[in-house]
Amino acid sequence: MLSQRTAYNMLDTALATGADFAEIFIENNVKNSVSVVNGKVEKALSGRDFGLGLRLICGDKAIYVYTNDISKDNLIKIASEAAAAVKNNVRCVIKSFDKKDYVNGVGEAVIMPQSVKKKAIADMLKSASSVAFAYDSAITQTQMSYMDSVQDVCIINSEGLWSTDHRIRTRASVSAVASNESEKQTGYFAPGAMSGFELYDKIDLDKLASEAASSAVTMLKTSPCPSGKMDVIMDNGFGGVIFHEACGHGLEVTAVSKNASVFAGKLGEKIASDKVTAIDDGTLHGKWGSINIDDEGTPAKRKVLIENGILKSYMSDRFNGKRINYPLTGSSRRESYRYMPVARMTNTYIAAGNDKPRDIISNTEYGLYAKYMGGGSVNPASGEFNFAVNEAYIVRNGKICEPVRGATLIGKGAEVLLNIDMVGDNLKLAEGMCGASSGSIPVCVGQPMIRVKNMTVGGRG
Amino acid sequence: MINNEFKNKLFEAAAANDISDIELFFLSSKSDSVSVYKANVENFESSSKSGIGVRGLYNGVMGYYYSEIVEDKDIPNIIDSIKQNAGIIDSSDEEFIFGGSKSYAKVNVYNEELNSYSVDDKISAAIEMEKIALEYDPRIKSVSSSVVASGESEVYISNSKGLELSEKSNYLMAYVELIAEKNGSTKEKGEIWIGNKPSDLDVVKVAKNAADKAISALGGSSVPSGIKNVIMQNEVFAEILGCFASSFYAESVQKGFSLLKGKIGEKIAADIVTISDDPLLEDGRSTTAFDSEGVATYNKTVVENGVLTTYLYNLKSAHKDGVESTGNGFKSSYKGTVNTSATNFYIKGGNVDISTLKKKLNNGLIINDIAGLHSGANVITGDFSLAASGFLVEKGEIIRPVEQITIASNFFELLQNIEEIGNDLYFTSYGMGSPSVLVKDINVSGE
Repeated sequence: MLSQRTAYNMLDTALATGADFAEIFIENNVKNSVSVVNGKVEKALSGRDFGLGLRLICGDKAIYVYTNDISKDNLIKIASEAAAAVKNNVRCVIKSFDKKDYVNGVGEAVIMPQSVKKKAIADMLKSASSVAFAYDSAITQTQMSYMDSVQDVCIINSEGLWSTDHRIRTRASVSAVASNESEKQTGYFAPGAMSGFELYDKIDLDKLASEAASSAVTMLKTSPCPSGKMDVIMDNGFGGVIFHEACGHGLEVTAVSKNASVFAGKLGEKIASDKVTAIDDGTLHGKWGSINIDDEGTPAKRKVLIENGILKSYMSDRFNGKRINYPLTGSSRRESYRYMPVARMTNTYIAAGNDKPRDIISNTEYGLYAKYMGGGSVNPASGEFNFAVNEAYIVRNGKICEPVRGATLIGKGAEVLLNIDMVGDNLKLAEGMCGASSGSIPVCVGQPMIRVKNMTVGGRG
Repeated sequence: MINNEFKNKLFEAAAANDISDIELFFLSSKSDSVSVYKANVENFESSSKSGIGVRGLYNGVMGYYYSEIVEDKDIPNIIDSIKQNAGIIDSSDEEFIFGGSKSYAKVNVYNEELNSYSVDDKISAAIEMEKIALEYDPRIKSVSSSVVASGESEVYISNSKGLELSEKSNYLMAYVELIAEKNGSTKEKGEIWIGNKPSDLDVVKVAKNAADKAISALGGSSVPSGIKNVIMQNEVFAEILGCFASSFYAESVQKGFSLLKGKIGEKIAADIVTISDDPLLEDGRSTTAFDSEGVATYNKTVVENGVLTTYLYNLKSAHKDGVESTGNGFKSSYKGTVNTSATNFYIKGGNVDISTLKKKLNNGLIINDIAGLHSGANVITGDFSLAASGFLVEKGEIIRPVEQITIASNFFELLQNIEEIGNDLYFTSYGMGSPSVLVKDINVSGE
């Protein structure tokens, strides 16, 4: 996408005023999306994102400029504008480029998204919609959507890195709304992968649509969730969003290096119950949050974040990690060329434990069983988090009883980690989009079924 | 600015390929942002970007394409994508490429003065903001962000029906986020200011507001669960209003995603509630003379003394209901399709100040921060359950900070349950506005 000569000249211009490091990120991202509302195709959109970002690091200062005009003149112009923000007396030498191409690795496409007829995508979504409507007469609306993205990136830096990656992702979402006179409830699933269109041979959207409809209908016939403190059992899969929000963000060096995380300075210390081992692994084949290389060009890694309750690792990037001399962990990510990369999660999960899910339930006298979690957010400084439960049941005398709606879980990450007293053996990952300072990126969350003692549950009942 | 030659070639190619009407939407923008940490520039970001969104009617159906590269050789791909995308749309709703309104209001959204506000000015402002925050009180432990940024953008719409419109706007923004700590209690709070007059930027005020928010929240604890009367502070209620604004869009009503269906002329809120959508508001964050379809915008009352008077329309939803567009057909950028969006959407301020509101509340809570709106609210049903914090009020006086609670209610019930409205109208950075409101019967979950 850029000639070696132009890249060199750009880095050279950028480094002229004494920055220690310069990096070019070029991206071409071809995207398609289709959305079907109530069985009809409402939206079909395609397009192309294209641009270049240049980052300079000088000590504890970072400069970032980006543009989508990659004419030689403009690139040299933005490089000198970036350089103007630096005043230093050293001159960093640009190393000769070592070209690496990561085209295949953590996920490759058998069926390229561009080769798929739009009608085939529309038919697949319409079929899922019919299944949801057919599930129950209480289903009044459906929304099904599809997206694919073929992102080519090239990362070039003054230390001689010249790496390209080719990331093909696709995701679909199915959502069904059940209504009666006064209420509406929604069931929702959104599977995705680093893969081509063959993903839809492996997963059954119709089945997921039926499950979404079932969840919506179940929740329609419920009373509001009671509020107060109780034991909470969170099921596997998207339940891992609790760890992602309440702990994962606090382990990113962005927060840690500024002492803005409750987990800053706690490496080697016990921060969770013995039952908790947590991992961030960008190398899992075909997973939605996987990457061959991060957006600084560092190959993805598997990191044990917490081992049997002991904090073992943070997630790092070049700029923020340097503040505490933390090594690179292949975690530096960004939504697009419009963002400077920072430490982010990839596929992050609580590892499987030894408890049987049925024992976790039968050992709970009274509490909430959160079957499907919704989204949430956290303040990394205090660790305070909140998230919604999409499908929940009351547990009484070791049995799952009536469903309840509108439950919210709140707490502080550091406390919840210590209060996890049972961890199941049924690990499962689920896909999501994570938003932070470097934009919205694909990640997986995950966990087996876990139980947290004495959480605050909010509801209207 | 877009090259006229490209536009002409594109329009010719469309006509030659059975695209009956075509429209080019061009957005270009640039921005500079300075972030300071410990009195040094930590980040400097600068951008210049542009993109086109092209849409055209093919067999009467609208097809869309966008790109961040504008080049003649991409024209066949643009035409082909528009036809392919239009080809699978099932909706029978009629869509329009619009020739233009009779006249357009003059809006004041570009301030020349801002051009002379340099990067160095931003650096000094950000350093000062950080310094004031840190020196304000010993309990302020650190400032995690101190950012000053500015930007400008220009939108240009041109179509084969002869529409030709452009509008240039700019902004200046200051943001501070800080951490207060005492006796193991930690609070992180932020404050943001947006405007376009450098003389209006008061970094002292921004820093002090953020610091006051964090300090006043220290040492909070929960409260017993129960049903309580609550003052929703202006910022909080503006966010809640923004979350449920889509219920007022005709598009949502027509698709069955709004409980306001069939409620025009009916009472949906307490008598004292009046809600307006004013795209021509002076200094408004969403002020604009025309929407993304080229329709002239105007001020309208959506709820008058509790009665729903209109939905917000774009050309398509208006045609479906047999009314005129209200000029609310917006796309989020050149990338999106035209949807509906409120502009400066706000609840009209009342007459009483915050201390009168507290007296009227007598015993209850003030909620000044919420979290989880993107996950804990059901925009269709209006139900929400959110993490919240604020203050405990007894006999009209603040007793102590409150944290680790959730508040749960329903937006539509809340509108009916507003007992009193403050005089402190506040707008969020995206144009949603509300004064502080006193509401009854909120489910609070705590200890």
